[in-house]
Amino acid sequence: MRPAAFLLVVGLAVAGPASAQAPFPEAPGAALPAPGLGGPTDAGAPPSVPVTPPAPPDLVVDLSLARVSITSAFQGENILLFGMFDPPGEVVVVVVGPPARETVLRKERFLGLWLTTGRQAFDDVPAYYAIAASQPLQRLLARGAGGEILSLEDRMASVRSVGQRESEDMTRFRLGLIEVKRHQGLYPAAIGQVTVQASRLFRVDLPFPSRLPEGVYDVRTYLLREGQIVAAVSRPLPVSKVGFSARLANWANREGELYGVGAIFMALLFGWFGGAVLRRI
Amino acid sequence: MEIYLPIAEQSINVLVLLGLGGAAGLLAGMFGVGGGFLATPLLIFAGIPPTVAVASQANQVIANSVSSLQVQWRRGLVDLRMGLVLLLGGMLGSSAGVSLFTYLKRIGQIDFVIAVLYVVMLSTIGGLMMVESLRTYLQRRRHPEAPRGKLHQHYLVHRLPFKLRFYKSKLYISALLPIGLGFAIGILSAVLGVGGGFVLVPAMIYLLGMPTTVVIGTSNFQILFVAANVTFLQAVTNGTVDVVLALLLILGGVVGAPIGARLAAKLPGVVLRGLMAVLILAVAAELLVELLRTPGSVYSLGSREVLP
Repeated sequence: MRPAAFLLVVGLAVAGPASAQAPFPEAPGAALPAPGLGGPTDAGAPPSVPVTPPAPPDLVVDLSLARVSITSAFQGENILLFGMFDPPGEVVVVVVGPPARETVLRKERFLGLWLTTGRQAFDDVPAYYAIAASQPLQRLLARGAGGEILSLEDRMASVRSVGQRESEDMTRFRLGLIEVKRHQGLYPAAIGQVTVQASRLFRVDLPFPSRLPEGVYDVRTYLLREGQIVAAVSRPLPVSKVGFSARLANWANREGELYGVGAIFMALLFGWFGGAVLRRI
Repeated sequence: MEIYLPIAEQSINVLVLLGLGGAAGLLAGMFGVGGGFLATPLLIFAGIPPTVAVASQANQVIANSVSSLQVQWRRGLVDLRMGLVLLLGGMLGSSAGVSLFTYLKRIGQIDFVIAVLYVVMLSTIGGLMMVESLRTYLQRRRHPEAPRGKLHQHYLVHRLPFKLRFYKSKLYISALLPIGLGFAIGILSAVLGVGGGFVLVPAMIYLLGMPTTVVIGTSNFQILFVAANVTFLQAVTNGTVDVVLALLLILGGVVGAPIGARLAAKLPGVVLRGLMAVLILAVAAELLVELLRTPGSVYSLGSREVLP
């Protein structure tokens, strides 16, 4: 239960309004910036008594849900990201799932049957990756923010392969990885543009499929002017199983022996009584 | 109505699972064998990862066999001694089978092996049943009072050492035979998630020469413990047993089994076996098509490892 409780605390901290405006100056790849500490100038002071009069933030962002809860009824989730920015400017939203090692398997026809013949592991593959912008992305990134904001293709090009392989073949595996992830809905190809209203309100829908890896996702929103990042907001989005399905999965993970015995007794119980009851009807 | 399966990590329609369990139970009730060999491929068609389908199906088999066994035990239709000897082989076989399963999963070939084994197994069984029921049907039409053959014959296998007397089965045969048979069924059980009754029952009749009265009960006895062993080992080594999935299959099966038993009493056996054969062959054909057809994508993902 401890990790779940920890995530809950993070979720609550993030839900506070102060943290929603915490700007972060770091490059991507840094883990979660500490949320809820106000601006960088007054890290030690209580947030309610700012040392300098607060400048109105250039960028304010919120999510329609503070966390994704995988319950027994979970079928995927759509989260609305919305906010306000100081015009002029363009908004880019990047959502990155926790990294992990993924193994790509490739099938080939062998004696008429499709058989797995090749495999290639990649490290640091984001579980989820979605990017959207209020302008065609290529045009925005071409103007100089490309160092920090990466399109899916650029992000995947930097994924480390495990072991050596001829480079052309490696590229095919890399593309295969994107293809599968896209098919699973984890690298949504077009989450649509960020829509802007009254030239300062923006919104975009973030789709999460039902087969969603757990972990803390990072939702970053950037404000660009003249191709330069002038403001950025990072919001962690915890994704975790909760309730019954969390307890079961946890149990199965940590105490496989006990879980196995439990599964056996469950089946014995239902088989025995189910059979006995229904024979009488 | 969708439900999220915590181990399979995906959501699926509850009614699909209940229906699948019900269909398996129907077959169990009609033919006295578990329907696992049809339920697992159908789960795979429904999009459940084959590894989870197999392990959870083993869990379901426990419920199926204990449900039948409680009646057979009371009526004294279990040859305990034969059951225990079979079980000795079954435990060894299923433990080896789970290790094999784990190895195949690690090298990324488990899905392929499961599919191929199912195609081979289902087409063999379906083909044999089809031939048998057609032959019986034609024979009955020609000679309504066809004489029955000998119950069992003596083969070379009866000369093996370590002979044991099985009083209830009225047999004096080598213990190696049932141990070997149990071992083979155990491997099948671990890799395919089936109880193996549909192979075990004919083998006990034709290979061991057991009287048909005690065959079903004794095979259920061995299947119960082997399935429990497979469930336990799969939960510990692969973590692929989804109890929510298994429970829904069990609930469906509990309802389906008595309906199947009633249907079986109404329809003539030849017709039943013919229908069953068609069903099995259809599933085998579909699995084969899946293996032969150019896949939508030649790429797939193995297991995801979160590095510390």
